[in-house]
Amino acid sequence: MNVLTIQNLSKSFGKQKIIDNLNMSVPEGSIFGFIGQNGAGKTTTMKMVLGLLQPDSGEIHVCNETVCFGQTKTNQFIGYLPDVPEFYNYMTPPQYLRLCGAVIGIPKSKIEQRGQELLSLVGLSGATKQIGGFSRGMKQRLGIAQALLTSPKLLICDEPTSALDPVGRREILDILRRISDTTTVLFSTHILSDVERICDRAAFLNEGKIAVCGTLAEIKALHGHDSLLVEFSADDELLMFKQQQAIKPLIASSEENNREIILHSCNMKKVQQSLFNVFSETGLCPVKMEIMEPSLESLFLEVIK
Amino acid sequence: MSGYPAFVKKEFIENIKNHRFLIMFAVFLVFGMMSAFLAKFTPEILSALAADMEMNSEPVALDAWKQFYKNISGVGFSAFIILYGSCLSGEYSKGTLVLMVTKGLSRKAIILAKYTVAAVLMTISYWVSYAFTYGYTGVLWVDTKLPNAALAALALWVVGFMYLSILMIGCVLFRQTFTSILFTGGIAAVISLLGIIEPFAKFSPFNLTTQNIDLISGIAAPSDFILPTLISVIISIMGLLIAIKLFNTKEL
Repeated sequence: MNVLTIQNLSKSFGKQKIIDNLNMSVPEGSIFGFIGQNGAGKTTTMKMVLGLLQPDSGEIHVCNETVCFGQTKTNQFIGYLPDVPEFYNYMTPPQYLRLCGAVIGIPKSKIEQRGQELLSLVGLSGATKQIGGFSRGMKQRLGIAQALLTSPKLLICDEPTSALDPVGRREILDILRRISDTTTVLFSTHILSDVERICDRAAFLNEGKIAVCGTLAEIKALHGHDSLLVEFSADDELLMFKQQQAIKPLIASSEENNREIILHSCNMKKVQQSLFNVFSETGLCPVKMEIMEPSLESLFLEVIK
Repeated sequence: MSGYPAFVKKEFIENIKNHRFLIMFAVFLVFGMMSAFLAKFTPEILSALAADMEMNSEPVALDAWKQFYKNISGVGFSAFIILYGSCLSGEYSKGTLVLMVTKGLSRKAIILAKYTVAAVLMTISYWVSYAFTYGYTGVLWVDTKLPNAALAALALWVVGFMYLSILMIGCVLFRQTFTSILFTGGIAAVISLLGIIEPFAKFSPFNLTTQNIDLISGIAAPSDFILPTLISVIISIMGLLIAIKLFNTKEL
């Protein structure tokens, strides 16, 4: 079952089309990475899912209910963590969670208990000072706590790690992984290592459309070619290598960096065979030879070209 | 309307923590305390400062009320509008409302809670100010009886709600505090200008701010205030409904 389904969604700001006929679905139980460049429209899409922005066209369904702009009915299934969560600075974390609980309509006795559970989950159980004095990382953690207060079916996080230091980032990712047993997580990011670390599914947003979508393995399999890195110890060795008849056809699609050359091909086995032939004929000896695993980054760069 | 009581509570706490209530209360209190004294002692102060100036008439209790209405309808309500002009813009710019709305807090509840708290705090400030003016006037002019003083005050109080409703529309429409205040001032100016035109003059809500003294002194009758009061109440309710309607379609 899909927790979130987006169909033919479009949104423009003035003459600029940000989202252009976007289709996407998030299956229940997944950690879904929503990848795109800065300004690609990730936040716009998420805000439309939350009913905070009005789509020009298209439909959004959360847990089989249609999202209506300006109304908050479907938000009962969703926990939302904005990129920079802002709270009422004069409150303490328990006071803020109490306000959220009262707004949602959770009974008072349950708010206290659930609040304490969540604050200890995000590592803020000892924080009694006002939120105004919190660091960005602490606010991000409190943001997760407030988003989980309703035990939502879908947690939407907008670039939760972008502004954090490596320690803060790891903590947030660990929390997201921990809650994924009970909550489907959709998180937008442009940090691809975060996606590789915790996501099982991802979608690439480019020019307002989903360019690639699927499990991480499926996405990596989409990569059209493999790459082989060969490194020599001297420039003249590389030059000689490039002049070989068997290598020449591969040079056109290669990348060079100092004494390294990266060869791309759809048939890596054949390339390797010709390389070994060249090495045995010429006596050239590379210092390094490595088949490069397709990474999300290389795929991402390919998608946004 | 889930969340309305919780948001009302939050608004009360916020207004106390950010000193908005304190400032408004202080402004109204100062005018409440000063009106009678200024009326009583201004002639003496002026004669002391300029020895050759002669005062032709003795100050009367009505002068104290003149001071009260002039100050409250002018500076008092201006302070009220300026202080509450930022009641939504602050939340827009910080993004604090987004978390509340995504929690399921209805947009109607947000507007109504903000209106309720601003109205209650204005009411407290206003009537405390009235009580001080009434008390000091009673002390300084012992034998004077002004039967319609409370009715006149009631009329001006209604105008406070009307200003607040117009301000709410401004706050929903514009993201900047200054523009919201300017909008309120503009609409108030349009209403006051309409009051000059003859067919509207009789029931202009601005009569409630300009004819209070006439009511106290007996020049105007209480019945003259019925239509303007009714129109003020209608504008207040309509304004609030429009603000809610607009806020429902506001992109946060």
